[in-house]
Amino acid sequence: MVLAQGSSVIEAEGLGRRYADNWAVQDVDLRINKGEIFGLVGPDGSGKTTLLQLLAAILDPSSGRCRVLGYDTLRQASEVTSRIGYMAQGFTLYERLTVAENLAFSAKSRGVSSSLFASRREKLLAMAGLGSFLDRREGVLSGGMRKKLALCTNLVHEPPLLLLDEPGLGVDPLSRRELWRMLEAFGAGGTTIVLATSYMDEAERCDRVAFLDGGRIIAMGTPDELRAGVDGAVFSVRSNAPAAVEAALGGARNVLSLQWRPEEIHFVVDPSLGMPDELRVELGRTGRVEATVPSMDDVFVARSRSNDKEVLAKPVVLSGPLSGGGRDVPEQSVETRELSRRFESFIAVDHVSLDIGSGEIFGLLGANGAGKTTLIRMLCGLLPPTGGSARVAGVEVTRQPRFLRRRIGYMSQRFSLYPDLSVGENMAFFASAYGLRGRERRDAVDRTADLTGLQGLADDSVATLSGAVRQRLGLACSLLHHPAVLFLDEPTSGVDPLARFRFWRLIGGLAGAGTTVIVTTHNLEEAAYCDRLGLMHEGRLIALGDLSSLRAGLSGLAANTIEDVFLAYVEHSDEGAVAGGEAR
Amino acid sequence: MNLARVAAVIEKEAKEIIRDPITVATALLMPLVMLFLFGYAISLDVEDVAMGVLDQDRTPASRELADRFVRSGYFRLAASYGTAREVEMALQRNAVKIALVVPPGFQDRLAGNEIAPVQLLVDGTYSATANLVAAYAETIVSQYRGDTAPYVGVEARVWYNPSLRSVTYVIPGLFGVILLAFPPLLTALAIAREKETGSIQQIFASPITASEFLAGKLMPYVLIAFVQIVMVIVVGFLWFDVPLRGSLGLLLAAGLLYVFCTVGIGLLVSTVTQSQLAAMLLALIITLMPSFLFSGFLFPIFTMPYFLQLYTRLFPARYFVDFSRGLVLKGAGIPELWPSVALLLLYTLAVFALAVWRFKKKVA
Repeated sequence: MVLAQGSSVIEAEGLGRRYADNWAVQDVDLRINKGEIFGLVGPDGSGKTTLLQLLAAILDPSSGRCRVLGYDTLRQASEVTSRIGYMAQGFTLYERLTVAENLAFSAKSRGVSSSLFASRREKLLAMAGLGSFLDRREGVLSGGMRKKLALCTNLVHEPPLLLLDEPGLGVDPLSRRELWRMLEAFGAGGTTIVLATSYMDEAERCDRVAFLDGGRIIAMGTPDELRAGVDGAVFSVRSNAPAAVEAALGGARNVLSLQWRPEEIHFVVDPSLGMPDELRVELGRTGRVEATVPSMDDVFVARSRSNDKEVLAKPVVLSGPLSGGGRDVPEQSVETRELSRRFESFIAVDHVSLDIGSGEIFGLLGANGAGKTTLIRMLCGLLPPTGGSARVAGVEVTRQPRFLRRRIGYMSQRFSLYPDLSVGENMAFFASAYGLRGRERRDAVDRTADLTGLQGLADDSVATLSGAVRQRLGLACSLLHHPAVLFLDEPTSGVDPLARFRFWRLIGGLAGAGTTVIVTTHNLEEAAYCDRLGLMHEGRLIALGDLSSLRAGLSGLAANTIEDVFLAYVEHSDEGAVAGGEAR
Repeated sequence: MNLARVAAVIEKEAKEIIRDPITVATALLMPLVMLFLFGYAISLDVEDVAMGVLDQDRTPASRELADRFVRSGYFRLAASYGTAREVEMALQRNAVKIALVVPPGFQDRLAGNEIAPVQLLVDGTYSATANLVAAYAETIVSQYRGDTAPYVGVEARVWYNPSLRSVTYVIPGLFGVILLAFPPLLTALAIAREKETGSIQQIFASPITASEFLAGKLMPYVLIAFVQIVMVIVVGFLWFDVPLRGSLGLLLAAGLLYVFCTVGIGLLVSTVTQSQLAAMLLALIITLMPSFLFSGFLFPIFTMPYFLQLYTRLFPARYFVDFSRGLVLKGAGIPELWPSVALLLLYTLAVFALAVWRFKKKVA
């Protein structure tokens, strides 16, 4: 190693990268020290991935210079790439190779001697919990396992620097916790880690964090420093008149974001301007206003300058055309009895009985492979159950699937949009697919575009949209026909906090208008937006209720965060399963 | 170049290929399917041509002339007609390809040592076969006259393909076409797939160099392509009974060089495309189409306009087709065929140089 003690692992000066006339990364000055865990956060398209690729020397800078591990990333790129570990976004291993073969390929390509590899492999597999899956093909592993394996392949040569692009994306909370355990172990051993993330709890765990927006670093510091920077800009309101609060906040200039939570409304104002007095007075009339300790989410919101306010400026319609969707719907929107689905010997959903009322926001939580998606697909009539029964919006799912489809909306994990069509064309197509014609179709498209903040974007090609706008379009396409029940399968995966808050405001508005919303999520913080939660584990529904009753159900256990609650129930259920097995 | 890293890439790639049954099946079956289809379909031979006769003479001499056509083996008597109008109708509706019209007084004129004209009407809609049919028919007629009148004898000997079977020259040409059609396609997809899944980023951010990666990617596909070569050569000789006059070893060696070249083209395609779809289309456009049109496999190059003849030199199939026909049919060896081999070698080196130069370990 050519590095002197205490010198920086990464030194960038005026670093920039241009694609045609567009600067993806611009004027980045960065020093990252040995052993640091450094986070890159920012909205979709803010340049996180480009910056990581510049640091990994797999992309040449258009301006400025950068030294990584003492080597120039332009002139000595091969010195950099032969030393670092770099994990790209998504799943980038060879899915037809087994766990062992993927690891072996990585070791051989990096010249790790076989004796060294043998001992490191054992250690890594033990840390990742992949020891018993050595001969399993990578493609059949769960998302969490694939990410852990990808991390292992980047650790076999014990690199001094690890660059990770959204390692937690699409990974369930349990696996994410294990990933972080591995990262922190290597970090403690002196490995420098730079990661991009859209999860603010991950940002919280970093030694330092840089906020990127429009390709520039707009704030940098320890999480505490960053939070201190927005002190006095975050508030919550508890009120019995949410519509009045909504109206007051929607009209105010400085309000950057507001989040509906079951018991309070949480909002962030521009930190440089502070809370306007007239707003404080107005809110004071509707309920109790309190300053809140900022979270990293709030920091994110306050720091995102490319704040398009169009959604915020428009109060969500709490009553209006959409309430028509609720007509003729019985009190129970979803009723399942012993609903099951097996795939050969594998039971994906195991005797789930569930009642969800109209206008309720119901959250389904669980690890990858816990059965959430299978359950939702059965409720949408996309997959026939192998046991039990289910009624959705008053329709028996197995008997009248075609009738059912007109009463429900479904937004899949990857919003199934046509990238080569424009926003308007996509909406028109989905409206036609639901049998809307002529004037009726135009009205539906206009109203939904209005509701989801897509007005004025009708002619934009979907391929050019940011992830957050695509997500709203995906929602719009599933709302065109006034569904009584809306299914959202991981709608906010990979979406930045601000876009997520806006999305949840929309959801809150829809539920307020009588639409039942059933949502799956990996982001446990989002459970706070749900009226009730169902926890799934290995196909079974292991807990059901609102957050406080779930907390109360864990008597004697200190469960503070939602993640703790979730994990405690999972552990509980595993013990129960073992005990049950012994009794048999 | 670090051989251990090349070996790691080869091993990885080989395992991926073996575990993809569709690729393996395509790689092994498609060349044979193509060989059989073209081996049987492309035939310029004249056999069993439907012939109509309008015999207005009705004498032993006229019947003997018609008989000679049938006895030659090239023609089959489909119908006899009574009027010229019927003959015209028969040609019109494709009932016969050729019609022989013997006018009245044929036998008398022959007996009187006069010139005895007969008429041959040939359907010229397929000009290549029409020429052959007309030529055969003329030979038969002139030999018939020869029985009674002396003439200057031409004894034509066809060399290299004495029976003039078209399969004999189609098959050696097909080797060149098949090996330019499939190996580049597979190879082009192989790198484009890694670009699509993003796994190539892991290669970029590793010590593996561009030439190591390309070499490792190349080897398994060269091996597959070589299996294809052996397969089509064996089936070509054994099933289609094509004579092999030159050295089998030399044919295989040149074949190996040729597949390096064609697999290299696949690599080159994959370095300039980002998706599997684009790679596939580009590979088809620059390999399959020109290998049919401009290799001399079906359409002789020497009859093309001069600038198109130059254009055919852009595609390696032409060199290998020349080589393969020369070796298989003429029994030629290196002394006669070295220019084709040398050009193929240069071509291969150029393709590799270009691929290595184009392949950057960068995402953009």
